[in-house]
Amino acid sequence: MQAMVRKEFRQLRRDRRTLALMIVVPLLLLVVFGYVARFDVKEIPTALLGTQAEALAGMLPEPFAVTIVDPEGSRETAEDLLRRSRVIIAVIAEAPPTLLVDGSELFATQSARAAVAGLGGLPTGAVDVEVLFNPELSTAAIMVPALIGMVLTAVGTVITSLGVVRERQEGTLEQLAVMPLRPRDVIVGKIAPYFLVGIVDMAVITAAGLLLFDVPFRGSWPVFIAGSILFLLAVLGMGVLISTLSQTQGEAIQLAIMTMLPQVMLSGMIFPLTSMPWGVRWISYLLPLTYFIQIVRGVFLKATPIDALGIPFLALAALALVVLGLAVLRFRRDLAPAGHRREPSPEPEAAT
Amino acid sequence: MKAIEARALTRRFGAFTAVADVDLVVETGEIVGVLGANGAGKTTLMRMILGLLHPSAGRVRLFGLPPSRETRRRIGYVPQGLGLYRDLSAAENLSFSAAAFGVAAALPPPGTGTGALGHLPLGQQRAVAFAAALQHHPDLLVLDEPTSGVAPLARARLWDRIREQAGAGAAVLVTTHYMDEARQADRLVLMAAGRVVGRGQEADIVGAARAVVVRTPDWSGAFAACEAAGLAATLAGTEVRLPGADLEAVRRALGASGVPAELSSAPATLEEAMVLAAGR
Repeated sequence: MQAMVRKEFRQLRRDRRTLALMIVVPLLLLVVFGYVARFDVKEIPTALLGTQAEALAGMLPEPFAVTIVDPEGSRETAEDLLRRSRVIIAVIAEAPPTLLVDGSELFATQSARAAVAGLGGLPTGAVDVEVLFNPELSTAAIMVPALIGMVLTAVGTVITSLGVVRERQEGTLEQLAVMPLRPRDVIVGKIAPYFLVGIVDMAVITAAGLLLFDVPFRGSWPVFIAGSILFLLAVLGMGVLISTLSQTQGEAIQLAIMTMLPQVMLSGMIFPLTSMPWGVRWISYLLPLTYFIQIVRGVFLKATPIDALGIPFLALAALALVVLGLAVLRFRRDLAPAGHRREPSPEPEAAT
Repeated sequence: MKAIEARALTRRFGAFTAVADVDLVVETGEIVGVLGANGAGKTTLMRMILGLLHPSAGRVRLFGLPPSRETRRRIGYVPQGLGLYRDLSAAENLSFSAAAFGVAAALPPPGTGTGALGHLPLGQQRAVAFAAALQHHPDLLVLDEPTSGVAPLARARLWDRIREQAGAGAAVLVTTHYMDEARQADRLVLMAAGRVVGRGQEADIVGAARAVVVRTPDWSGAFAACEAAGLAATLAGTEVRLPGADLEAVRRALGASGVPAELSSAPATLEEAMVLAAGR
């Protein structure tokens, strides 16, 4: 038994990736997620509209952070600002004041309600609080659209991450390398079937989400489909990139899992981005799921128009381009190594 | 015309030199065998020729050009591992390969059926690999131990096909450590420790190398005596052969052990020449 334990330790010492997964990653996750795992929202972007807007601007306590003051603004203006996610709270500063809250921001809504209830000196009902888009504050309405992205990330990244590495392990990658194929032909060829399956997958889980959990869909289908296509390209590209970085299918799955956890924790799916410190929040903005969640929650619940989703669309397109570009570059090393001078480790004895 | 022209080809992996200063030319219509033991550098040399590995020094030209996507169109390659998709059928493998080269797919070899290729016997899998490599009519065929693990009759058929290709003008480069395969080549290049240590026909490779042949009724005693004296011996039937050994040294070793034997000197075989080259 001692010999077995010793052998396992020796193998583990040489398997740096597993060692990292077992020691470094948990520590990193604990530190990062420790800062992230909080539901209390310290700062809620707020708009003040109406004739009393300017007078009220300096009076609102925390967590309200006034970012827009518009004395000309009306209720329509307020709803539009919320629909476009410019703010989470819009106060119509008339008598009596009305506080419109974006119900798709569950925790911000709860914090806002608590803050209003705690305002001293106000008689009950003095402020009219109205929750828009998700008046019942249904968790399913918030989570199901995000889960569509989560499921697609899991399926897309893990399955495509096995694609190239399987060719490498089975010896067919070398055969591809002597065929007159360009690296981008191979990448596109690898992704296309998974992309189509991903689209079908998306349709099925979206239909299931809408039917089973009674989630509303108020926005535009073309916007949702366009966002889904960009998101799929980004997650499939990430899978292929992982595949080009791995030597075995086991390594590929390890890496895929390593990329999955941050997406779950940092994308805003569970914990609101606004409650994350900037030291961690910047990671969220590198993750495709963050932008997809902004698109789907907006489209499903708020009928957010496409011109208000410019940043998430652009970010998804840029991420897809970057991961696919990196995958092609990495793949060139396998398929057209003549252009890449590197010093690999010696080949196995039997291979010479 | 030179299908392959490699000059001073060298490949280092860190401090280890896998291939050192190798010159190799393969003309169209010619079958050249690169022979060597495991670790001799054959596969590394072949991978550089195919453009799968960049040389540390030296250069390769295929049809007068550096390895590129264009030269790949003219190459048919059968790796030792076959490079086929085991979960696809023979026809599906051929169809994919044909599409990659932009030609019509060849018919799958008889008996390969419609099931997954991985379930076929190795001989049939090799036949499919050959069909895939030949269906775009390559001008250069690169084969890595092409008939290892194949039954004699199927092996003969595969060599017939290789000869047909060479007869039609294709250049053929075969890397192998099997003598039977090496003997099929028009010309041999013998490699050891990453260097070329012999070239030409079988007789040129063997050259002046000789072996001491021991005939004795006590062949096991003779074998043990030679081994005990530090003389590398092999058994060939009931004869004990000692490639490159000194006749008198063998006589002394057997005499000391009291093994009755008749000794003679004979030309080394190709295998023995390879072993001697590897030991140099």
